[in-house]
Amino acid sequence: MAAWVKGNAADKDAAVDAAATLLATAHTPVFAGLSAELAAIRAAYRLADRIGASLDPVAGDGLYAELGTIATGGALTTTAPETLGRADTVLVIGNRPWDGDLVAEIAKSKPVRGRAAGEERSVLSLGGPANGASRHVAYGVGNASLDVAIGHLRAFVRGNLAGEDAFGDLAKRLAAAKFGVVLFDAGEIGDAGTEMLLGLLKDLAETTRFFALPLADPFQGRAVTQLSAWTTGQAPRVGFGRHLPEHDPWCFDSDRQVAAGEVDAALWLSSLPSPRPNWLGSLPTVAIVGEGSADARPETAEIVITVGVPGSSIGGSVWNERRGVIGYVPASGQATADTAADVIADIAKKIEQKGASC
Amino acid sequence: MLIRIQGGRVVDPTDGRDAVGDVWIENGRIVAPSERTPDRTVDATGCVVMAGGVEVHSHIAGGNVVMSRLLLPDLYVSESAPNGHPFAHAGGSGSWVGANYAKMGYTTAVEPALPPSNALATHLELADIPLLDRGALAVLGNDDHLLQILRDGEGKNAVRDLVAHTLSHARGLGVKCINAGGASAFKDGVLKLSLDDEIPVYGLSTRKIMTALLDAVEEIGVPHPLHVHCNNLGLPGADDSFVATLDAAEGRRIHFAHAQFYAYGAVDKENPLTGGFRSAAERITEAMEAHPNATFDVGQVVFGQTVTISLDILRQFAGRKGANPKKWVLTAGDAEGGGVVPFLYKPRGGVSSLQWAIGLELMLLSKDPERTILTTDHPNGGVFTEYPRIIHLLMSREEREKEIATLPAVVGERSSLPTIEREYSLSEIAQLTRSGPAKLLGLTDRGHLRVGAKADVAVYRDSPDRTAMFSRAKLVLKDGETIVEDGEITTWRFGRTLELDVEADAAIVRRSEAYLQDRFGQGLDSFAVPDAAFPETENFEDVACRA
Repeated sequence: MAAWVKGNAADKDAAVDAAATLLATAHTPVFAGLSAELAAIRAAYRLADRIGASLDPVAGDGLYAELGTIATGGALTTTAPETLGRADTVLVIGNRPWDGDLVAEIAKSKPVRGRAAGEERSVLSLGGPANGASRHVAYGVGNASLDVAIGHLRAFVRGNLAGEDAFGDLAKRLAAAKFGVVLFDAGEIGDAGTEMLLGLLKDLAETTRFFALPLADPFQGRAVTQLSAWTTGQAPRVGFGRHLPEHDPWCFDSDRQVAAGEVDAALWLSSLPSPRPNWLGSLPTVAIVGEGSADARPETAEIVITVGVPGSSIGGSVWNERRGVIGYVPASGQATADTAADVIADIAKKIEQKGASC
Repeated sequence: MLIRIQGGRVVDPTDGRDAVGDVWIENGRIVAPSERTPDRTVDATGCVVMAGGVEVHSHIAGGNVVMSRLLLPDLYVSESAPNGHPFAHAGGSGSWVGANYAKMGYTTAVEPALPPSNALATHLELADIPLLDRGALAVLGNDDHLLQILRDGEGKNAVRDLVAHTLSHARGLGVKCINAGGASAFKDGVLKLSLDDEIPVYGLSTRKIMTALLDAVEEIGVPHPLHVHCNNLGLPGADDSFVATLDAAEGRRIHFAHAQFYAYGAVDKENPLTGGFRSAAERITEAMEAHPNATFDVGQVVFGQTVTISLDILRQFAGRKGANPKKWVLTAGDAEGGGVVPFLYKPRGGVSSLQWAIGLELMLLSKDPERTILTTDHPNGGVFTEYPRIIHLLMSREEREKEIATLPAVVGERSSLPTIEREYSLSEIAQLTRSGPAKLLGLTDRGHLRVGAKADVAVYRDSPDRTAMFSRAKLVLKDGETIVEDGEITTWRFGRTLELDVEADAAIVRRSEAYLQDRFGQGLDSFAVPDAAFPETENFEDVACRA
């Protein structure tokens, strides 16, 4: 384990002590990042509860577009394996889904389970790159934004609009599906688009089976959401400033809090790679980062502590995107590094010893 | 440490005890009375002493429980918790679940829906429920691998091996089937399914799937009988499904989940879905008396707002039209999926009042409380913290009459509840909440106060106000350690997750690995629940199979 305090190399105890002092004396600390194994996120929630911090995962715009839509209207979802195994119709919305391998895999395969087994799969796109990389039928959105295009499509599906134009054709294809799936990134289509898409799926569900497959963020946002829900009863973002969990995505947006001068210290947890916030070097911060990462250096923050990386130098529970569940990844070799969970627990103990009240 | 709980009314129906006496404890176990001077004496004068309560069916962990919190974040109220009791007052959280069960004197709780495809997250969530021992039932009955084996007529051994392996790998305590075949059928366009209807693609039926699982559970020696959620939950005429399923068990052990939701006789048999329902509690009771192989938990309804959580996606899809507030989640998952639908049991509403009456009727008509388990199917019928109020209603006819007087006439017109004079005794309450559920789960070390039992003990101040009495125990011991005093948590500790000690056949392990790799592109490792994933070093505790 390597550690630095104010740019100087330090041993673990000294770094933990400095971290405890920084966090214990803060009035409104924020814990950000949370791109880590579940045990570390769990430890961060417990420490935040102890010292009255707020928590903000780095997960990004898609997480809150999804969570907001679930809280206001619900969801109709399925999994990637069910999509590959059952779907006879897949609608890909926007550009981001094309960045990964899933669309190509969908386009190359046929359903093997259920009533559509053995049939050709119809792959459709709305507002995608239309670059011919995978077999599909492309529908453009013209100058419209994706959320408006989804609304337009929904009007055809509901029968509020009719005609032989492209959206009319697309609506008919969707309605004819036996098991349809919409693949999208909630961050790309936004709050309004996600909500409109849910409405579209609910309309389709009246006559057939159609589900959403939203892409997960790559920074453990789904794992944080699950743990946050069973730990606090609430989704992230959550604050403990009043000694009870309060869910407020606007209030506890760490970037907003820092910009508004509302926080005086931070803990940045990133044992797995994640984009670093631009305030990391300016706000008094404890950075707990994966060993060997680009952030494992003295300039990253006031206090930097390196920890094991799940799946590499330690084992840990992390989000398994393919399966859409939390799964355990063992260390690739002999696990030797300190874990982020242990470091956070040590900081908590040190704060306890210091008798900090909050 | 030797502990003597002295001078309380000790109620243990398994030992014929209902008299003032002592309970002795040492090293976390109930022991025989000792000549030695106890290290600690608890004065239980004026109190009732029972074994810790055991919950068999409460949705306290899993993907749909998480989703219910995201869908209805304001269902529960959060408050500040005492130092050292993290999140104990965070409404709906795992800590809140453990703390509230413990305050009522419960010491064990089982989540009835452990999807093997999401086993690790469910167990991680269970592990964060403090104070209680936990367990979960592995759900089977809609998975393509099982249905393929059945469709291909591979025989009982193949099914047994797959069930044993699934149970072992998911680290379940028992096996549950939920509207067997229903989720698969739903994905293929079916909207209603009865016992002998064909499951598309597979050519199977609920009967065929369920009976195969009944056989497998017996062959493996799972202590808890197959836990069955029947077809047609909540529909007028659901009593036909219940009775048909009971008959289909053909004498094999079977447990019915939330029977209240099936005790709905169709008023108009010709038009069951439009004519409304009347209580079928008497019919269900008679059927249960004729089938000593069966048990049920009640699924009592409680008035007010709740959220329904079920892997029965077929039922939840139909139920979406009644969502209140009007939002819902459906998940076409790997195998089961499920749905989360908010629901309001309208206070003094006609339908909800009748549902409320039917649940009480089922318990009050039962001649064998030990086969009649108190649940609300939390949170489907209502929150589990309403148990004390339900116990009060069972123990006091006067209290029931007061409540019935506020309800619409349909309670008397379509149920027999107002005419029932029976009042439960404390022994019968202990059967309903302790000895019955412990026996049902095969947990011989709890649910009673006989020598050798775990020292899971609840002490209540005896009071005619049974709601108050059972809401806040005077004292609760878990494994001999005090966790509650005067209705408040005193010690923050973690129990164990109970898992069945069952071994898998090597051939089915290889076969499952190949199947999963083909279907998911990942093998058994991605479904694993390893010890290393848990913060406590000893999270799990084995429960032996039946000899």
